Amino acid sequence: MEVSHSVKERTIAENSLVILLQGLCNRVTTVELRDESTASGRVTNVDAFMNVRLAEVTFMDRQGTLCHLDELFVTGRNVRYVHIPDDVDIRATIEQQLQAIHRVRYFGGRDKGRKEFPRTKH
Amino acid sequence: SRLSWLDNSGLGFSLDYPTISLHAVSRDLNAYPWEHLYVMVNAKFEEDNAKEAPMAEGEEEEEAEDSDDDTEPIAEFRFVPSDKSALEAMFSAMCECQALHPDPEDEDSDNDYEGEEYDVEAHELGQGDIPSFYTYEEGLSHLTAEGQATLERLEGMLAQSVSSQYNMAGVRTEDSIREFEDGMEVDLAPAVAGQFEDAEVDH
Repeated sequence: MEVSHSVKERTIAENSLVILLQGLCNRVTTVELRDESTASGRVTNVDAFMNVRLAEVTFMDRQGTLCHLDELFVTGRNVRYVHIPDDVDIRATIEQQLQAIHRVRYFGGRDKGRKEFPRTKH
Repeated sequence: SRLSWLDNSGLGFSLDYPTISLHAVSRDLNAYPWEHLYVMVNAKFEEDNAKEAPMAEGEEEEEAEDSDDDTEPIAEFRFVPSDKSALEAMFSAMCECQALHPDPEDEDSDNDYEGEEYDVEAHELGQGDIPSFYTYEEGLSHLTAEGQATLERLEGMLAQSVSSQYNMAGVRTEDSIREFEDGMEVDLAPAVAGQFEDAEVDH
């Protein structure tokens, strides 16, 4: 998943566990909603507000009826749980996401290029 | 600021984005006979409204679920465009609009992140604001050996490109270093009268 273009979203992600969910892009997993319906599919995007975008989705509504959806967008407000696949290394995923954010933030090198905020003097 | 569905005559209805729980593209014709945009809304809709809604360019069907338990009311909308290739664009547009309406009731996350990103490392080392440019002397000390060599080479090139009789303003040659302490000073008037009169120089 591409790192967000928004400074605000990057900062929110860096300071909450939503960064772990962002690292689940391209993984297939299940999202449980507040109304107890579930959506299983491949994660294509998670933003800082925990809005989740899935592709190739099997959706089960709260009555238990299944249907297939090509793409699904769930607002963060309505997410109750996001299942983390067993083979996901949680710590490594978080670190990779942080590195991706830092690559964007320090684009151009430590002492070159435009910066979002001043770098330390050594 | 709202999702609106209108037919040719301008009749239709609107949904407020914060009430939309989720939306999806459904192409499963076994589940529903047309490819459509599915929208689930966190609100109640009266059956009467559905019958009054006209069906013209795009069909629109509304189902209101009976909430006989204590759970929140749910309404489902299926938007069937006459051109099904529009579904992707509709879906993407809604995603973007939803992102513009973050949950106003979200108390869990501390969203005081307006303005500059928080530089954890700078704060830890006790250094806050760093200048983003240096004056000449300061900057010179920050150059690596390679950087200094490059600077000298470039200045040498600048000095050489001008006739040896004249000094180009601002370029630090050996003579000018002694004259000017602050290399940022620029002479507006030529050092020698008529300095550039014969400016036709072959390079």
